[in-house]
Amino acid sequence: MYHPVACNSSQHITKQHSMFLLQILKVAIKTKSIANMSSIIRRPTSILQVCSVIDQNFIRKDIRTMSPIIVHNFIHTTVPSFKKDEKDESETDNETKKGESKKNNETQKGAKSQSALVMYMFENVKKKEKETYLETIRMYISRDIYRRGHVEFIYSAMKYMEEFGVHRDLEAYKKLIDVLPKGKFIPTNVFQVEFLHYPKQQQCAVDLLEQMEDNSVIPDREMETMLINIFGKSAIPLRKYWRMMYWMPRFKNLNPYKFSEEIFSNAIELAKQAIKKISEVDPEREIIVYETEKVPDSVDKTWIVSSISPTQKELLKKHPVNTAVYVEGPFKVWMRNVTVDYFILRADPVPKTDKPISEYDADDVTNIKIPFWEEPKVPGFLSSVHEQEDGTILAVCATGTSSKDSLLSWIRCLQDENPILSEIPVIFTLKVKTSDVNAIESGEKVQGRLEDSKNPTDKKTEL
Amino acid sequence: MNPRILQLLVFNVKTGRREFHITKCLSRFFEKDPKGGYPKVYDRLEKSDTSTLGKIRTGYQQIVEEFSLLKDEIKELSFMDPTIGLKEYAVDVKWKFHDNPKALKEWVITCDSDYNAGFSTVSLELSPGGKGLFTGYLDTKLPKDGKLKRTGYCNMKSLPPRKAFQREEPFDWGMYTHIVLKVRGDGRSYMLGITTKVSYDLMWHDVYMFPMYTRGGPYWQYVRIPFSKFFMSSKGRIQDKQASIPLHEVRTFGITIADAIPGSYRLEIDYIGLQYDPSHEEEFAYESYRVDPFILV
Repeated sequence: MYHPVACNSSQHITKQHSMFLLQILKVAIKTKSIANMSSIIRRPTSILQVCSVIDQNFIRKDIRTMSPIIVHNFIHTTVPSFKKDEKDESETDNETKKGESKKNNETQKGAKSQSALVMYMFENVKKKEKETYLETIRMYISRDIYRRGHVEFIYSAMKYMEEFGVHRDLEAYKKLIDVLPKGKFIPTNVFQVEFLHYPKQQQCAVDLLEQMEDNSVIPDREMETMLINIFGKSAIPLRKYWRMMYWMPRFKNLNPYKFSEEIFSNAIELAKQAIKKISEVDPEREIIVYETEKVPDSVDKTWIVSSISPTQKELLKKHPVNTAVYVEGPFKVWMRNVTVDYFILRADPVPKTDKPISEYDADDVTNIKIPFWEEPKVPGFLSSVHEQEDGTILAVCATGTSSKDSLLSWIRCLQDENPILSEIPVIFTLKVKTSDVNAIESGEKVQGRLEDSKNPTDKKTEL
Repeated sequence: MNPRILQLLVFNVKTGRREFHITKCLSRFFEKDPKGGYPKVYDRLEKSDTSTLGKIRTGYQQIVEEFSLLKDEIKELSFMDPTIGLKEYAVDVKWKFHDNPKALKEWVITCDSDYNAGFSTVSLELSPGGKGLFTGYLDTKLPKDGKLKRTGYCNMKSLPPRKAFQREEPFDWGMYTHIVLKVRGDGRSYMLGITTKVSYDLMWHDVYMFPMYTRGGPYWQYVRIPFSKFFMSSKGRIQDKQASIPLHEVRTFGITIADAIPGSYRLEIDYIGLQYDPSHEEEFAYESYRVDPFILV
């Protein structure tokens, strides 16, 4: 069988390989030497290296029998591709070869119009949603009983999935698999199995499964039945399917920070989840949503998601009135593919009073404590989780606008429960110009934000 | 079968012709070098003095360095004190960034833009708090070379441990059960990878992996992952036949980000250590029973 390293499912027949073989086939048609060339198409190269008996030079010989011009031609032509970017290239390439034979020309034209039609089918849909996507597939199936160019159709349909918002939808993938005809591709003998029966179609199905894997869509049993009906049990897509069904459910619930799809459309809910996530070290923390409309003298009318725990309140109470606390930010936290900006209320780190372990002498027997008559000592001050090495975190928040004014309102809101905050000086250390930055951005906006943060303008103002 | 093919199969015994296979991964699992054909790229090229005197000087410096390593080695050998009483649950710190710029030199950082295969950036520096900071921008934009299908990775990998005179000696982590990291992430998920000392080119690209999910936010986070959970992958793909890590010959440890989400990333690392947990009895988390032939590849 194949070696594990050499034959990963998707690498099994690379696109280039299949393209290359197609090209050879084209040349073969031209020279009418299909009988000779067909040997090249289905020969797995693993055989070549495993059995030394088999001649490895005969591909060369096959080519030698052809006229030299054509050999030259097939080595140097660009392979046609299903990739959108390379389409133009292959088309121009086709044009250069136009004069070669009439028959060939006609078939190429046919292929061109076919793929153009598929493009047209998806491009010209007015409402890009799931229903229209499935309708397009239905249209394609009902158009022609032969389903010409179905592999090309599946490849171009796969490209449009994200645009139609069905790239995480199992049903759409199933409908796409269903385009492939049942029964025709099932190998009937061992040679067909070993020599990759219908390699292009198999690779297409593997690529589809790969796209499912990338979008973390787990297939179901029905898909297995469909694949068996199309390719039989011994095909490569089935292997890919079984691998996916072994590993994907295993890692499905591995991530402890998983969020439902709904929160990504709601800004407040997203901010709430983000603040909940970053402050989970203290299970006692309360997450409160303030409305700045209620705060007197506030300019920005927005919301603030704030998190503070009883321990943090206690720490704030103990904080000396003459030393400042800082409002810092914005910092980023990723929620799947979206970032949320958050701010912290921080105090300077508490110097550690614990005696370093190295000063204890375990071998010193002059002063042994006998614990029986002593009162058990409770450590006077257990440092909490909020007292980090680089500062004590007193509260965390995210606001709707991330502006300085909204942070001012946040401090005002916190003052209600922590009156000491009105006495402690609060220093605002904000990194980015806060006027035109939104707290919650989609993945696309991130690039723009980064450029901003490269030239931070520190603003320090005292309340 | 075509009689012509049969004739060719039986009578012509010649060597193969590489040039007809456009892509390398098609047929052969032969690997030319451990880097898989990637060129060597240096990010810290030291100025070399090419004059005769300069060469002598650098050579002498190397000798001094190597002999000091040899001295340590002989000392270690003469003491003959292997770790017997391993303290349970104590974290044995292997890498620590504590205001120490030298600690950064123990790591190699790579990203796709080093090999003209993408546009990501990566850096490893000391953060204002004196910890290691693995940061940059992950870009999934494809360079237009017509070959690459996907891109976007950044990686930091420890240097393989060595003894004097450039002899490699892998770590022996056989007595530990867990890897422990103290990190402060940004909410993204990272991949931990462990490579081991291997002899055959087939295994050159084997990496034992497990994801690390970070919380994000201002608080430090302790990550504790049992070695039994690491799964085997080769060239980034999970393999069908799995095996646990041969912990007695660990070569490198690395942290990768390649989650296909374009954007900046930031991972602060305080230390990376190992731990022995006597209550952890699992040897390998994935099925390793025998299966019928031809089921697994």
